Amino acid sequence: MIVLREVSKTYQRGAVAIHALRGVNLVIESGEFLAITGKSGCGKSTLLHLIGGLEPPSAGQIVVAGRDLSRLSEVELTLFRRDLVGVVFQTFNLLPLLTLEENVALPRVLQGASFHQARDEARQWLAEVGLSDRRQHKPHQVSGGEMQRAAIARALINRPAVILADEPTGNLDSGTGAGILELFAHLHQHHRHTVIIVTHAPEAAAHAGRVLRLHDGQIQP
Amino acid sequence: MRAWLFRLSTKHLWEHPGRSLLGLLGIALGTAVYLSISLAAVSALRSFQDGVSAVAGKAEWRLMSPGAPLADFLFTRVRQASEVKAAAPVIESILDLSDPHQGPVLLLGLDPFSELPFRSYEFLSAGQVGARVWEDFLTRPDGVLMSEPLAQRLSVKPGDTLPVMVGSSRRVLTVVGLFRSSHGLYPLDGSVLLMDLAHAQELLGKLGQIDYIDLLLKSKSPGVAEKLAAQLPPGVDLVQPGSQGLQMEGLVAAYRLNLSVLSGIALFVGMFLIYQSVTLSVVRRRREIGLCRTLGMTPGQVLVIFLAEGVVNGLAGGLLGLFLGVFLAKNALGVMTQTMSSLYTPVAATDLFIQTPLLVKAWVLAIGATLVAAWLPAREAARTPVRAVWYREDLEERLANKVGQFFWFGLGALMLAGMLASVKIGNSPPYPGFAAAFLILLSFALLTPAAVKWWGRTLAPWGRRLWGVSGELGCRYLAGSLSRSAVSIAALGCALGMLIAVAVMIGSFRRTVDDWVSRAISGDIFFGPAVFSTAAYDRFLPSEVIPELQADPQISDIYFYRCVRIPFRDRFILVIGGSFEVLARHGSLWFRQGEGQELMLKARSRGQVMVSEPLAEIFGYREGDLLILPTPSGPQRLTIAGIFYDYRTDGPSVWMDITLFRQFWQDRHLNAVRLYLKDPSRVKEVQAKLQHRYGQRYHLLTLSHADLRAGILKIFDDTFALTYALEGVAIVVAVFGIITTFLVLIMERERDLALLQAIGTSRRRILGMVLVESGLASLLSFVLGALSGSLLSLLLIFIINKQAFGWTVRLYFTPGIYWQTLVLVTLLGLAAGAYPAWRALQSHLAAILKEE
Ligand SMILES: Nc1ncnc2c1ncn2[C@@H]1O[C@H](COP(=O)(O)OP(=O)(O)OP(=O)(O)O)[C@@H](O)[C@H]1O
Ligand SMILES: [Mg+2]
Repeated sequence: MIVLREVSKTYQRGAVAIHALRGVNLVIESGEFLAITGKSGCGKSTLLHLIGGLEPPSAGQIVVAGRDLSRLSEVELTLFRRDLVGVVFQTFNLLPLLTLEENVALPRVLQGASFHQARDEARQWLAEVGLSDRRQHKPHQVSGGEMQRAAIARALINRPAVILADEPTGNLDSGTGAGILELFAHLHQHHRHTVIIVTHAPEAAAHAGRVLRLHDGQIQP
Repeated sequence: MRAWLFRLSTKHLWEHPGRSLLGLLGIALGTAVYLSISLAAVSALRSFQDGVSAVAGKAEWRLMSPGAPLADFLFTRVRQASEVKAAAPVIESILDLSDPHQGPVLLLGLDPFSELPFRSYEFLSAGQVGARVWEDFLTRPDGVLMSEPLAQRLSVKPGDTLPVMVGSSRRVLTVVGLFRSSHGLYPLDGSVLLMDLAHAQELLGKLGQIDYIDLLLKSKSPGVAEKLAAQLPPGVDLVQPGSQGLQMEGLVAAYRLNLSVLSGIALFVGMFLIYQSVTLSVVRRRREIGLCRTLGMTPGQVLVIFLAEGVVNGLAGGLLGLFLGVFLAKNALGVMTQTMSSLYTPVAATDLFIQTPLLVKAWVLAIGATLVAAWLPAREAARTPVRAVWYREDLEERLANKVGQFFWFGLGALMLAGMLASVKIGNSPPYPGFAAAFLILLSFALLTPAAVKWWGRTLAPWGRRLWGVSGELGCRYLAGSLSRSAVSIAALGCALGMLIAVAVMIGSFRRTVDDWVSRAISGDIFFGPAVFSTAAYDRFLPSEVIPELQADPQISDIYFYRCVRIPFRDRFILVIGGSFEVLARHGSLWFRQGEGQELMLKARSRGQVMVSEPLAEIFGYREGDLLILPTPSGPQRLTIAGIFYDYRTDGPSVWMDITLFRQFWQDRHLNAVRLYLKDPSRVKEVQAKLQHRYGQRYHLLTLSHADLRAGILKIFDDTFALTYALEGVAIVVAVFGIITTFLVLIMERERDLALLQAIGTSRRRILGMVLVESGLASLLSFVLGALSGSLLSLLLIFIINKQAFGWTVRLYFTPGIYWQTLVLVTLLGLAAGAYPAWRALQSHLAAILKEE
């Protein structure tokens, strides 16, 4: 379960304060598939980053799987991200020098698994996202959709409790994008992790159990 | 932590091998220079010490008199003393081989019947011939045994003749046999001749005299030695033979220290390169680090990965440096033995003495240096926020915020340097001064970011006025990419600063010496068997020459000169006897305070002495102090009448009037004379006349004042040859730095440049922009280098040199070095910027823009 209480985030740019989030209260049940939509600049990414422990909130409390994020040290927060959170980016963010297989294996190695074990698991996950035959390729040798599939496999390899995806289809054509969303839905059905996905795509709403609208840093009723 | 994570590093390494190689080469060169200097210095000194101990053999004690021979009969007396187990008289001199051979050779005159307990030489002629050798050695007045290595080097066989210069006379010796020393150790790299004591006495004109007596005592307890010492006549000292080596070490210590500090500087510049290469790697991989942090890599792991990259650089670069260093050392050894021979004492060493601890030390130093250099950027990497995946400019911002902090640290370091510069710890090497020098370099490095920022902003309007938009953009880019540009500007600034400082120091020093030669050394002709040789303290003018010179109508005045080298505390010093009265008439010495003529005449009438500035500085004497000087007539308490500037290198000196000297040293030898002519314009004529008169009989040098000056300056220049070479390496290392930086800086910006081109900016304008940027960067390095270099030169001249050698060097402005470095660095900067920019403009726009 994820609980946000009166969460605010303010960016200070010199004299200007930008209120990205203002007093957000939110409860997300375990295993929920939540879609977040809203206009550009309304604070969607910020919300995702706060839940993922990638940035601290300016005010308020965030509890994820029983952990109060504000009480975690830097290292504990890192381990929280490693073990409990999987992130999928709009721009894929695969390491260009590693093969897809190695990219997927990376979080598992960070967790302490041997590379061989991690690689075997990575192969399974790549198979699950339909990339078995591409596992030895470098990111620049495959298409955008394939890169995103690999990124999803990477997010899942540590079997996190929460998957956070920030506009995972934003850089893809609509057909490919739809395929990715279906993959999310399929995996969600299979593994029952919590999925929070930021998206502009209307189809997302179809897969999601709940759609949240953000406006100017606040949740719209 | 899983080893596989280091794959990230190795993948980057393989992706851009050139970049990593440059950092590695920097450290390799630094290590190589450092190692080669230490190896060469150790080898040269070691060969000297081996020589000393080879001559000493098993002797535990040695009887000698400071700067004078002993009387024969002392040997007979000592041998019978109850404390003495064995005694051997020795006479030694360094001769010059003459045509067809050349070079110094050590002649040892020994009493073969006393030798056995001390030195074991193996005669190399077997069977019956051996007996012949013995007989020849004992009976032929010109018979010598030659060391096997020398015989091989000169291709000399037993029975051959060997022409040599003994003092000022030509003599021909006969090689009656060869010998090998028991441990293969020889002085002067094997250039040794053995002669029977009596024959050597005759050859060297030391009838009834010996140079020292080697002793073995019956007991090792110190009481026995003391008892023996108490029975000795005044002026005869009981010393340990090894002390000679130590005293020579004391004499050359400052020279050595200076070289090792200089070589350390090359390593320091190498550190900048490592710092830079790790920083660049951190900057380029910020996104990757951010991503890894997002995926769960801890800050500690990031730190370890980047430190490891630095250390691997250090390990590999250091290892490469060791090989390179040993190779360089072979060359450095030649230069160094030559320098030491012309400055201090004849040294010959052809074999490098490779000490494993020295290698290990150099390697550890290289690794340590890279660890230190990699630490800051690695820590920066560890602090990379996860957000770096999305936001690129964050680092620049953070750095921009720290500029002020760096600036204050820089000022602090500068102040600390000022404080350290005024500290002097007793008689020890100028460590605080070296620390201050390091701090000056560091402080300028810390001031660099602020300077870059200020420079870029201030010049932007000017850039616009001069070169239009590209000018302004160039300036703004410079100030906007601090994280990358500041480091290389600092590195280059550092190297330039050191170059300028050393050049100003050497230039000033040279002028000072030049002034000194014309002001403090008077005389029209310098006449003697050896003038520049450091082996020549026992080479004298033939005695019949003096009356003949005195009778010469063209000569108005003759200055007598006599010089001995004696051990004094921890080093060798010179004691010089001269005709003070003549000197007073002709400009006297150059005193630190007081009027020269008056001082010299006063010293002469009251039996006082003058000491050279280095002697006063090293041992802490002032005008009016009492100096206790060991002499063959026992220790003498002498008042110091004055302290004079002196730049000779073979030792700090004490000067006294020749009559006083003869009173203590009890001989009438002269090493040389200075002649003052009635008509100074006829120098050439008199030179020719002297050569004509004595050239047949003797080998004597007649140098005019101009010859002397040229000779002294040549020695000076030779001495600093190695220094210049070291400097050159530091510059090469820094040049590597600037080229890599610009390569990377522009490569990083390939996208921007392509974009500018895509939206219609002309290639010329883009190139212009890059050139403005790199030109300004090098100009700024120059400005920083000139400032820090000038400060450093003051430190070198007034603090370090003064404390290390005791020399007062006057500061002379040397504009040449400033504009030379300016031209060099500007050209270099432009070239380093132009190439990558040109490359960036050649690549396919679409390809660059599509990436990411
Ligand atoms: N590091 C930052 N510094 C300053 N302002 C920021 C920063 N990150 C986000 N903001 C601001 O906070 C607000 C919310 O940003 P956020 O990225 O959450 O929007 P978003 O809803 O994800 O927009 P988009 O749909 O365009 O991605 C914006 O006004 C943005 O400019
Ligand atoms: Mg967003």
